[in-house]
Amino acid sequence: MSKIIEIEDYTWKYLNTQQPALNKINLTVDEGSVIGIIGPNGSGKTTLAYSMDGLIPGQYNGIKQGFVQVFGKEVESYAKGELQRLVGVVFADPEAQFTAMTVEDELVFGMENLGMSIAEIQERLEWVTELTDLTHLLEKPPYEISGGQKQRVALAAVLAMTPKILILDEPTSMLDPLSRRRIFGVLSRLKEEQQNTIIVIEHSLENLIPLADRMALLYEGELLLEDETQPFFQQTEFLLAKGVFPPGVVKFFYELMKAGRYSGNLPLTVETAQSELVKILTGLPKQETKSN
Amino acid sequence: MAEDNVFIRVEDLDFVYPDGTCALQGINLTIARDEFIALIGQNGSGKTTLSKCLNGLYKPTSGDVIVDGLNSKVTSIRQMVRRVGYVFQNPDHQLFNNNCWDEIAYGPRNIQLDEAEVKERVEEAAGVVGLAEGYFNEHPFFLSKGLRQRVAIASILALRPQIIIVDEPTTGQDAKQSLEIMDFLKELNETHGHTIIIITHDMPIVAQYTRRVIVMGQGKIMADGPTAEVFTRSEILEKTFLAPPQITQLAQAAQSLGFNPGTLTVEEMMEQFQQLSKKS
Repeated sequence: MSKIIEIEDYTWKYLNTQQPALNKINLTVDEGSVIGIIGPNGSGKTTLAYSMDGLIPGQYNGIKQGFVQVFGKEVESYAKGELQRLVGVVFADPEAQFTAMTVEDELVFGMENLGMSIAEIQERLEWVTELTDLTHLLEKPPYEISGGQKQRVALAAVLAMTPKILILDEPTSMLDPLSRRRIFGVLSRLKEEQQNTIIVIEHSLENLIPLADRMALLYEGELLLEDETQPFFQQTEFLLAKGVFPPGVVKFFYELMKAGRYSGNLPLTVETAQSELVKILTGLPKQETKSN
Repeated sequence: MAEDNVFIRVEDLDFVYPDGTCALQGINLTIARDEFIALIGQNGSGKTTLSKCLNGLYKPTSGDVIVDGLNSKVTSIRQMVRRVGYVFQNPDHQLFNNNCWDEIAYGPRNIQLDEAEVKERVEEAAGVVGLAEGYFNEHPFFLSKGLRQRVAIASILALRPQIIIVDEPTTGQDAKQSLEIMDFLKELNETHGHTIIIITHDMPIVAQYTRRVIVMGQGKIMADGPTAEVFTRSEILEKTFLAPPQITQLAQAAQSLGFNPGTLTVEEMMEQFQQLSKKS
């Protein structure tokens, strides 16, 4: 797999702030991989997302040090608009990106701006509305639909431009559990069918974990931990100390480990947790003699 | 539930919006003074409409909402909001004054209390939410989201309602901030005696903090009972596209080993594990 994003010793300080928002970040993202970025509010997650599509430094004032390369090229060296064809960002607040009076116009807006032919726009519109289940809403104003539908429109509008890299900033923050599963369902289809590179900033870990190849923890502007998903959560003690609360089964097995009743990889799903639990409890007498 | 402890009684409530959308149908429930309740269900299932019926903003199309002995149909909103407070999901949709003091004072002034009493109530509410005096002259929009939410709650507390309904208290908050807000609501419930109703999609929060769950679906109450019991009713949860928290799912998957399917927290799970491993 080739490296699609390479960030090296990257520091960004917004104008008129004391501390850098991001401090000496080193991170590479492989093409076709899904990486989950987590961390407390104010840790620099959104700043990192904006740095990868050129919004920073393009639209913000501040001081940059180090390198942020996308497709092997520094973000500032792209012509205006060129990088944004390759990298799509879905914002946390969907309303922040709406401009049109109908969902259909909203979805078409980006494609028209990219100068696509009417035939191509038509084709992509059909593909994206089917993928995100929006066909029945095309005539509606984006302001009159529910929060979950708004977040799907925001995602669809970016997908319609078929960026190679997709960055999502808390894509499910306003959603109920079903809509949340739907968004993550769309993301896993994109990963499988189109090999998109996907970067997701998210607090809700239960849906993110099965999708993510790798996880990164940002904390006060620093990248404290970055690893494949399983070894990442193996560091539960560290994560807890940094205010990240892993899902219930991870936490439970971490407690078992602390109590000396489990060793090995912390399970990440209910299924693996259940089978590990069966092993511990049915194979118990043996283990107890060992530990005594 | 002791009869004199009942604070809200909802009887055969239907609510139809002016455009003909039937948002609530045949709602019956009673809420006691000391409860901590989660109202859960899909977006559009009627949670917010029900909340607005409870605080008298919406009058029933048919049926009755009786709060503290007052029927919402014939009681002014001014009387209702003194009893049932509603905190918006997004504090920014609620806050509109130029400084925190005026924000918190808005409600008491609006129900025409005199300035001495307004002052007393603002100070009391700010004290409860832990908003330091230094913030009184700050513009709410310059505060962090967590603090803005506290200001939003304080502005409701200043009306001294018995019941506080908080719409999605943890949305947009990180894990630590979520626990801080929930611990604060717990304190309002246990120490200050407020009835708390939260509307949320966060099932681990429901499991950890609430004692009763009301499940809404398509404008009806689909289930209503103790939290642990509701989370074992898988057919209802499936029908309303909900799922119990992960730890409860694990306890249910491991039920044959002796785990209680109504397990709500990692701590409860650990206790049972210790018991079960002693037995075997």
